[in-house]
Amino acid sequence: MMNIALVGNPNTGKTSLFNYLTGSYEYIGNWSGVTVEKKVGTLKNKRDHLIDLPGIYSLSPLSKDESVVSSYFISEDFSGIVNIVDASQLERNLILTIQLLEYGKPIVIGLNMSDVAKQRGILLDEEKLSEALHTPVVSIIARTGKGCNDLMRSISSIGTKPAERLRLDYGLDIENGIDRLLSILPIETIQHLSPRWLALQFFEGNKIIENYLETLVPKRQLNELYQEVEKQVKSNHRVKGLSQWIYQVRKNYILAILEQSVKKEQTHRANLTDRIDAIVTNRFLGMPIFLLCMFLMFKLTFDWLGTPLSDLLDQFISGSLTGWLKILLEDLGTSNFIQSLVLDGIVAGVGGVLVFVPQIFILFFFISFLEDSGYMARAALVMDKLMEAVGLNGKAFIPMIIGFGCNVPGVMAARTIEQPRERLITILLTPLMSCSARLPVYALFVGAFFAGHQTIIVFSLYVLGIALALLMAKIFSKTLLKSETSIFVVELPPYRIPQAKTLLRSTWDKGKGFLRKAGTFIFGGSVAIWLLSYAGPGGLNVDMDKSFLAAIGGVLAPILTPLGFGTWQAGASLLTGFLAKEVVVSSMNIIYHAPNTDSLQGLLTQAYTPLSAFSFIVFILLYVPCLATVGTIKKETGSAKWTFFAVIYALILAYIVSFILYQCGRLLGF
Amino acid sequence: MSLNELHLGEKATIVNLSSLNRYIKRRLLDLGILEGEEVLLKNRMPFHGPFMIEHNGQILGIRYREALQIEIKTS
Repeated sequence: MMNIALVGNPNTGKTSLFNYLTGSYEYIGNWSGVTVEKKVGTLKNKRDHLIDLPGIYSLSPLSKDESVVSSYFISEDFSGIVNIVDASQLERNLILTIQLLEYGKPIVIGLNMSDVAKQRGILLDEEKLSEALHTPVVSIIARTGKGCNDLMRSISSIGTKPAERLRLDYGLDIENGIDRLLSILPIETIQHLSPRWLALQFFEGNKIIENYLETLVPKRQLNELYQEVEKQVKSNHRVKGLSQWIYQVRKNYILAILEQSVKKEQTHRANLTDRIDAIVTNRFLGMPIFLLCMFLMFKLTFDWLGTPLSDLLDQFISGSLTGWLKILLEDLGTSNFIQSLVLDGIVAGVGGVLVFVPQIFILFFFISFLEDSGYMARAALVMDKLMEAVGLNGKAFIPMIIGFGCNVPGVMAARTIEQPRERLITILLTPLMSCSARLPVYALFVGAFFAGHQTIIVFSLYVLGIALALLMAKIFSKTLLKSETSIFVVELPPYRIPQAKTLLRSTWDKGKGFLRKAGTFIFGGSVAIWLLSYAGPGGLNVDMDKSFLAAIGGVLAPILTPLGFGTWQAGASLLTGFLAKEVVVSSMNIIYHAPNTDSLQGLLTQAYTPLSAFSFIVFILLYVPCLATVGTIKKETGSAKWTFFAVIYALILAYIVSFILYQCGRLLGF
Repeated sequence: MSLNELHLGEKATIVNLSSLNRYIKRRLLDLGILEGEEVLLKNRMPFHGPFMIEHNGQILGIRYREALQIEIKTS
């Protein structure tokens, strides 16, 4: 078995290629030390593993996820590299390729998007390219899978013949510098790595490699060597630094190769991307179009498609399924305790949440569509001005949109933001985005109290979340996290119509977390809540008002009274909502002992007024990130202090906003 | 002249990037943009919003403030 690393620039079709080359995921995990997603899949030859590394432009890292690649290269054992290269952007893509070739492991180059290159008048001779780079080059179209089988064969033959190490001449100064560095390195401890590659990466300014070398050689010695070499290079070649010189040498080499292997023709046709961009990034239409897209997405998710499907599922679960289970349990002769546990606890709790699966999957489908089509980067561009005004940049908008699906990947998506300060603020604010898990709660209350105005009320909650996030961003960037200006450079990939297979796969990847939650947190939570409501100080099967749950919720009730929902039922369900926000619905199903959503809604109209119901769902929107999100914030920020802060500020914000809403609403006579 | 003086659809050669922030400069370099390269101004957002520039068939967005710091010459 071989481990093969998949490396390439961002936006080169790496994910499509990964999906094509591997039938299924082996697993998704995190890289040690950093929470960057690690995807490993089994290649179609059923033997070797493919490791998906984050997209990088160069081995020298700028952001946290970029550093993963260098760390992987020095610490992990793998047999070869698949380097995916954008044929229409060879000049910059090959910079990375050269760094990989210098590393010395066997490489297969997948030349992607040769069709796009051809449209742009770039004709490539892959054989000549292969000769010049001393490594196999295979033309592919990763989106359709064309050429991928040839690539697969090349990958399978990795290791059958020794790799030729590329050796560029960097000039006397650097070559001497390399020799001097190698003379002080303990060669036996770095045997698995190419010493020349290490030295070049060090001189290029790769921090990860520098840190690694500092574990082998005194830091002072390294610094002295670096400065001496840099001084010589600066004076002999009129460049601003070592990295610039190394870049130039590589670039000249690339230009010489391309001279041989690329023919350019003039083409003058407006492509699809230009035509779409003329509309969606129009100076004045850009923002309205973005908002319209969002509105349509919600309309489809909640009104046109999602709700009818949810209703059908609800009918099935509370009707047929409950009936069958009841008959089954009675036939088995189970005790009342077990019957109540299954029907009033598990089915009511888990089923009450599962009915929202259609809406959640539809939302994830649209988010995947936006991601894959190339529109997301445009949204970042269009929103940048607004985000800059609150001290963030347009890229912060992407985690927030993803946060509408689920806050956990939203918080993780903040990694693409280069500046630590902006990243932290984005992480703190993403939980204010109304995730799909909060939907069941809204759906429940909105259906009961605002039946005629579902979309508008739910939309208002999303807008409220965004507005408060912007406000808090302004406050945080003015007070807690002041610092220098923000930075923003965004690549706008060409538009592509997402492939159905990729789209379904990423929808499923995102949505299955929700199903898993239903099986774990929500299941466990439902059982716990049911037990607490079944048992009380007076024994088992007590009246609900005398249960442990009532006692616990009762403690919170007086605090919640100024917000309009000072009941033990509200207090208890809010507590359980920390596990996962959907559990609030499960809890209410159990607490109010409702067989289905309709009857629960009927019961709720007795416990809440429309105003207190609205105050309650606003509180649900804001009050604390769920357990999984808190865990992710802890991992992503690496700080207990900021994690604690994320929970506390949200709680205070929720209290203040609900308080103002309820009290003002009462004064206005609602 | 600087990039913000360019008209829509106009091409120019980059002359100097040295007044840019270090990170921005590095990111632009990653994307193949450095002194001597030709860029085309595709679009600009209102109220001094971001610029869309095209280089070598690839489009990227940068801010107005950075566009001010990119020195160019038109041929």
